[in-house]
Formats: sequence, C-alpha cells, structure tokens
Amino acid sequence: MLPIDAAAHSSRWRGRHPLEKALLGLGLTLTAVCLPPWPGAPLVAAATLAVLLGPAGVGRRQLWRAFRIPLGFCVTGAVPLLFAVGGPAGLVSLAPDGPRHAAELLLRTSAASLGVLLFAFTTPVSDVLPRLVRAGVPAPVVDVALVMYRIGFLLLDSLAQVRAAQAARLGTAGRAAVWRSLAGLAATSFVRAFDRAGRLQAGLAGRGYDGTLRVLVPEARLSWRFLAASAALLAVVVAATLVLKGLWL
Amino acid sequence: MHIAEGFLPPLHAAAWGVASAPFVVHGARALTREVKANPESTLLLGASGAFTFVLSALKIPSVTGSCSHPTGTGLGAILFRPPVMAVLGTVTLLFQALLLAHGGLTTLGANVFSMAVAGPWAGYGVYRLLKKSDVPLMVSVFFGAFFADLVTYCVTSVQLALAFPDPAGGVAGALAKFGGIFALTQLPLAVSEGLLTVLVMRLLMQSSKADLIRLGVAKLTASREATAR
Repeated sequence: MLPIDAAAHSSRWRGRHPLEKALLGLGLTLTAVCLPPWPGAPLVAAATLAVLLGPAGVGRRQLWRAFRIPLGFCVTGAVPLLFAVGGPAGLVSLAPDGPRHAAELLLRTSAASLGVLLFAFTTPVSDVLPRLVRAGVPAPVVDVALVMYRIGFLLLDSLAQVRAAQAARLGTAGRAAVWRSLAGLAATSFVRAFDRAGRLQAGLAGRGYDGTLRVLVPEARLSWRFLAASAALLAVVVAATLVLKGLWL
Repeated sequence: MHIAEGFLPPLHAAAWGVASAPFVVHGARALTREVKANPESTLLLGASGAFTFVLSALKIPSVTGSCSHPTGTGLGAILFRPPVMAVLGTVTLLFQALLLAHGGLTTLGANVFSMAVAGPWAGYGVYRLLKKSDVPLMVSVFFGAFFADLVTYCVTSVQLALAFPDPAGGVAGALAKFGGIFALTQLPLAVSEGLLTVLVMRLLMQSSKADLIRLGVAKLTASREATAR
C-alpha cells in the first residue's frame, strides 16, 4: 500500500463521510486557486496546515514526505517564469516581474497541494470510488477503477520483489542490463496483471458473477456541524484575504 | 510532465477540463458498452488500467544521465485503443494525484488532455499509419510510443505557454521557452520510452501472444490459423 493511502486508512477522520472531507480539503484547494495569491495563498496554507496537523492528526514527517513531491515540481515549474525570451533585452533575459510571478505561483501551488493532501490523507480511495456511482459516474467505469485500485497495489508489490531479485542477479550492473531488466519488469507486470485478472474472473464466476462488483461501503452519516464548520472556515479565509488585499491596496 | 496542483489559473484549468470531457465521456460510453456485452471484461480492463498505473512507477534512464518514468501512453494506446485509454488514463491520473501527490485535481483536465487524449491518439495514429504501410511491427511500435510521448510534452508546453505568456515574446516566446526546456530533457526520454516499449512488446510476443492476439495487436500465424480453423 502507498504511504498516503495507508495513512488515510488509519486516519482519525476515516469514519467521516467523504463528502465532508471533500468540501473542506477540495474547498481549500479551490480557494487557493481562485483567490489572489497574496495574501490568499499563505492564509489558505496556514488554515490547511492547522487542520492537517491539528484535528486531522496527520504526522509532520508523513506530511513533509508527501508535500515535498509537488513542492519540487512547483519550484522547477516556477523557474522559467524568471526569464523572458526575445525583446530588446536579448534572446534570454531576466523577466522584469519574474520573481514576483514565480513567488505567487509557488504560493498558489503549495497552498492548493496542501488542500488535496488534506483530502488524500484522511480519505482512502476505496471509500470514494463506490460512492461515485451516486455522483453520476457509470457503474462499469467505477467497477474498472475499483479493480485497478486493488490490482495496482498487488502489482506494485510484485514489481518491488522482481526489482530486488533482478538487482540481486546483477540486473542493474550495466546499461544494457538495466534496459533488459526494465523491459522484463514491464512485461512481467503485464503478464501478472492479466494472470491475476483471469484468476479473479474464474473465482467470481464460481460465485455467480453477473457483471456487478458489490463491495461493502463503510456507513458514514453526514455531519452538518462539520459541514458548517468547514464552510465557516472557507468563508473566514476568503473574507480575510479580501480585507487584507483591500488594506494592502 | 504532470502539471502540478494549482499550477494553472482557474479559467485555464476549467477550459482544459471542458476540452477533455468529450473524449472521456466517449471512452466511458465505449467502456460501458464493452462491459455490458462482455461482463468479464471488467477485470481485464481493470488489469489493463492497473498495468498503466504501474508503468508510471518504472524509472527509465535518460540520455542526459537523469532518470524519469515512462508515460505509458503509447503502449497503452497500442494495446487498449485510445478511447479506452482516455478513461484508464483519467483514472490513473486521479490515482496519481490522490495516492502519489503527482499532478492535481484542478489540473486533472489539462493532464488528461495531454496524457490520456492527445498523446494516445497521436501515438496510435502513427502506429496504425506505419502498420498499414507494411512497416515492421517493432518499428511501428517504436514510433507510436515515441510520438505519443513527444506529443504529450508538446501539448503540455502549449498548455503552460497559454497560461504563462512570456512578458517579451508573448505566447510564442513562452512556447519557445517551455518547448526548449522540454526538448532538452524529453526528446531523449521519448527515444528511451520508444526503445523500452519495443523491448516490452518483444517480451510480450514471447510470453503473452494469446493476450496480444485477443487485443488485436498480434496476428495468428498462418499455421496456427489453419490449426484454429
């Protein structure tokens, strides 16, 4: 199991309805994207961090390990904004407003990523997928996504085992060996995926499979208090941003 | 090549979502029809999707000395066809955003358009064109995967250039900037992915030819066709 999903399964908020957590986490993400980056993004980031490390009970180290991935992409992506191409200053020159634009982009992406992490760290994908049918996603698509989710983890595990076995047999000793091992790894995962699907099919056929995958969805009731508190937090962040923005101007 | 969460302005994020929606809906309808006709294909399609997801966990060596992961769009499109790939790619991108913090939910539309729509269709188009021209299968596979990868990066460059026009050169300047950066790193990666896809396909021809025949990628040889008859 992947670290974020493992954390979500043992989250303090696991029993909460996914819609509540979606309103809070994805609401904060949308707020970060739609509000002016300054001072909106720092306020959204501060609010999200407070919820993540406080009531949601996500560990600091776990959060940092997950957050540094999008942060790395954001930093790399913001660098081109520092430069301008063409114009009187030459082929490549420093953009006049480059540092400001890059900083704003970094703030926005960081705050938005934290919002998604709040949802991901508290809501296992297996709790979300079956409920998508009620949101209008066709049942066969949801079933395929469920099988992808279940088989995906098994394949990742077997991939790690095959990789370790290849390394132990000098499969990474040279460039040619690395390519051979990689191709073997991809082909093995294809073969194992289809083999597993075949065995699943045989097993389900023995249990009267009629084309629908029935899974138990943990019962969860919507908490209006939680929803109201989330909406209030979003409203406070929006209001504070607009007021501070007005004061700055 | 995944555009990170919050990277695109809201209007751009929404516009790319609208642009990719018809392809995903078309793919979802195709998938629903397939599952209704053959209920057991749910498992095979799920396995195909899981394989696409796992492909992104592989690290391929780049000519520049760095490492990256294959997009898998070319191989996926050749094996499972672009309409189905649009749905499998969308679910894969959703999983990557939620499970790996790779990509994002507000940028899902843009990422779907580049990686699950434009890349697979371009790669599949090149693959079919070469295959019809009697080019050897492995050459067609190489160029299919190469162009799928390259078009994915080109579309991502366009998406970024439209969102962040250059202060001096406008959208064209930004396209040159982002395209130039991608060309340095991604051209060698596209070659690497093409080579890897050929190696994978060769191994699959040896170990899973029955699956490839069922998927329409490989053909029965004359002697086996006679036996089958």
